[in-house]
Amino acid sequence: MFPDRKPRSFLDAGVLSRLAAVPLFSRRPMQGNVSGRHQSPHRGSSVEFAEYRKYVPGDDLRRLDWRAYGRSDRFYVKEFEADTNLRACFVLDTSGSMEFGSKGISKIDYARRIAGTLGYLAVQQGDAVGISCFAKGIVRSLPPRRNPLHLMNFFDILEQAAPQGETQLVEVLHELSETIRQRALIIILSDLFVEPELLRGCFQHLRFRRHDVTVFHLLDPLEIQFDFRRPMRFIDMEGGPSIFAEPNEIADRYRRAVDNYFAALRPVMLESAIDYHRIDISEAYEQALMRFLVGRSKVKGVR
Amino acid sequence: MSFLQPLLLAALPLAALPIIIHLINQRRFQTIRWAAMMFLLAANRMSRGYARLRQWLILLFRVLAVAALILAVSRPLASGWLGLAAGGRADTTIILLDRSASMREQGQAAVGSKLETGRQQLVRTLRLLGSARWILIESAQIKPRELRTPEDLLHLPESEPTSASADIPALFEAARDYIRENRTGRTEIWICSDIRANDWNAESGRWQALRDSFLEFAQTIRFHLLAYGDVATGNTSLRVTGVRRQAVGDSAELLLSLRIERSAATAERATIPLQIEIDGARSELSLEVEGAEFDLKDHRIPIDRKQERGWGRVAIPADANPADNEYFFVFDLPVARRTAIVADDPTATFPLQLAATIAPESALRAAVDLLSRDQLGSIEWDQTALVLWHAPLPVGDVARLLETYLDRGGQIVFFPPRDPDDAEFQGIGWGAWEESPGELPVETWRGDQDLLKNALSGAALPVGQLQVRKYCTVRGEGTWLANLRGNIPLLARATSNRGAAYFCATTTATSDSSLASDGVVLYVMIQRALASGASVLGATRQLVAGDSTNPAEDDWAQLAGSPDALSTEYPFQAGVYAAGEKLLAVNRPDAEDRPATLSDPRLDELFRGLDFQRVNDRAGSLAQLIQEVWRMFLVSMMVALMVEAGLCLPKIARPSGSTP
Repeated sequence: MFPDRKPRSFLDAGVLSRLAAVPLFSRRPMQGNVSGRHQSPHRGSSVEFAEYRKYVPGDDLRRLDWRAYGRSDRFYVKEFEADTNLRACFVLDTSGSMEFGSKGISKIDYARRIAGTLGYLAVQQGDAVGISCFAKGIVRSLPPRRNPLHLMNFFDILEQAAPQGETQLVEVLHELSETIRQRALIIILSDLFVEPELLRGCFQHLRFRRHDVTVFHLLDPLEIQFDFRRPMRFIDMEGGPSIFAEPNEIADRYRRAVDNYFAALRPVMLESAIDYHRIDISEAYEQALMRFLVGRSKVKGVR
Repeated sequence: MSFLQPLLLAALPLAALPIIIHLINQRRFQTIRWAAMMFLLAANRMSRGYARLRQWLILLFRVLAVAALILAVSRPLASGWLGLAAGGRADTTIILLDRSASMREQGQAAVGSKLETGRQQLVRTLRLLGSARWILIESAQIKPRELRTPEDLLHLPESEPTSASADIPALFEAARDYIRENRTGRTEIWICSDIRANDWNAESGRWQALRDSFLEFAQTIRFHLLAYGDVATGNTSLRVTGVRRQAVGDSAELLLSLRIERSAATAERATIPLQIEIDGARSELSLEVEGAEFDLKDHRIPIDRKQERGWGRVAIPADANPADNEYFFVFDLPVARRTAIVADDPTATFPLQLAATIAPESALRAAVDLLSRDQLGSIEWDQTALVLWHAPLPVGDVARLLETYLDRGGQIVFFPPRDPDDAEFQGIGWGAWEESPGELPVETWRGDQDLLKNALSGAALPVGQLQVRKYCTVRGEGTWLANLRGNIPLLARATSNRGAAYFCATTTATSDSSLASDGVVLYVMIQRALASGASVLGATRQLVAGDSTNPAEDDWAQLAGSPDALSTEYPFQAGVYAAGEKLLAVNRPDAEDRPATLSDPRLDELFRGLDFQRVNDRAGSLAQLIQEVWRMFLVSMMVALMVEAGLCLPKIARPSGSTP
């Protein structure tokens, strides 16, 4: 598992072994370059029947369905689904806000565990894995590959990712929509502190490019509950101005703002067909990943 | 609002504690690096409306709770006595009690008289307020008397009503003297009175001196007036205006004149049963009364022929003021009307002798002593009803002798001597003689009272027919009873406590005036002065309760009157008393029947510059003047705490937006 024998803090062998039992499926046909577990938009040679097609000259006679010919006296070619591998592109938010964590684990650590575990599982089943770290722009990027050595580089990038600076998620997603040419599974790990309406455009862009987009929305429980007693001075982790607030006075309005945000985010995610997972980082990441993988198994086959 | 523990109010700034804690808490903030600034900014943009209001309300209710607690332990009093005890417990509390007859007036419910209600209210209030010393000064004795507790007011016979008027300025003077002599600390002066104008004597010059002396005191002196200014409706008063004994053949009878006055509310026609008691024998007479005033003239009451002197009482049924429902009188054989004529020239006094000698009734005996100034020692002063002084004004011992005679109720008429000097008597002296070119008629005279008042029939005396040729000018201030044309005084009366000293500016000589030739006026003047002078002689006397000239009560024995009256207070209590050989009838003063009260501005004027509070109460009122209301503040505190707790309750958490 660790070819270079270097232990990774964000990987847990037990979790990996348990999750390995559940394959990672894409919800959309993928255009891989080798055979794999995922549907391909093209017809291929798998065991899964796809359709009958009229024979046209030039077709391989070996694929002619003689039984159909016997029944209908017409030439049909029997076509099968093609299975291919997928390209999983992780989009990791490394802005300053990802450093926050009130329960002993920060959002960036949580994101590392999810990305590391999913990346490992993907490579194990023959899929290619790549990563783009972004803050104000794309900070580091690694194109999808599927060899184990590449996985080491992937882990290195995860390990070295340091939260810093502002978030420019919308611009980065637009950019990635254009730069990832083939259909891919795009897994976004971020706290999404962006106006939901701004996200709508970039998610639609990704969908237009036929990517299967998954969002892990990482939030600390304190950010949702805002459970403070004493007056607080809040210093912006992304370098903005600090705010002084009396929690008793502002808590209600803060919670209302959070609710409004979720309410606005929900239609954006639904309309853009995003596989959206809001994660409370106090929850064990294994459970979150298990839920994610099992959910994918159920919807497999959607084209 | 006033407090029994006002020092605790110093802790009132503690009510600001919640605000101070809030401000300190604001200073003790924590710093945190925060990711979700987006939500904080959105929350800041939202309307703060209720949230901010809620914070202020919580603070407000906390402040109220602390303030209510402090106020509660300060023992607040609810009353109309604003600022009642703002300085804490008084060192000395002086109670000035108006015991005048009008204080016996009862309220609508007839639960108690004004005095009774006032005493109870004072006891309740003073018991609550507390004091190191209690001093009672009541209107009869006007002497400070120390009380053990305020409750003594209810039991002391010296706090019961009298038939006399109250001299309220004298009460204040006694209080002032007490404070001055005893050097009291913080002093509260409580006055319980029905603010009758005659008791308060607001026109008296003493008030100004009183105000000044109270203002001079270094210590705090506060005045509280418990005023019973309501005048009862439906009151009827009874007053005897005259009693004469006359012999009729073999029998004798009393001629009783009386006056009944009714307040406007009861002025319709009514039958009043009048109870008459002569020496203990009672009879009853029904009077048909209509209008506000009713006079009964010379009602004949047969008596035993042998009974030459005695006493009697008339009474009407009880009404709003029991003090004016009865009247006592005494009667006797008429005393001899003795006149002393003092003249340097006896021949010039012949018209005076005639006027004094001829008695208006056959039953009356008249006598004249003609004397010179040297023979004054031979006058029997206690049998002389009138002195006619036709000589230079007396000075020295003679003047003092005449003043003593006046104080006993004697009557003196002065006529001008031929050679007037600078001497004065009772503030009046003779000027120079003036001779008028023509005859001067009398232009104005007092027909309503005194020597020249109209006859009983209402007809005026023929004063206008008098002609004066020579007159002597009058120096000094007095009451002018008649003036000649040109506003020249003819008859003046000097101011005196009792008795009367008249100054006639001309003589009976025909060269001076027509007093002798038109003798009616002279005769009436002399006889009226004689009658007044004779009324204080003899074995029976009609006295006014509380009058300073009343004889000492040392040997008085009560024949009729209130059985509760203290023997030391007989001169203040209506009744009939035997003092040695004499019979004395004591009755309330005329002024007690006049319901006029002091107006509010006039009262405020009396206390101008002094720390004065007034509260109006009603006779029979059961409502306490003051009561402790700390319970209300404790309840307020609890309510404030409960509201504060309600406001502090966190909202029921709604589930946050669900995962899509």
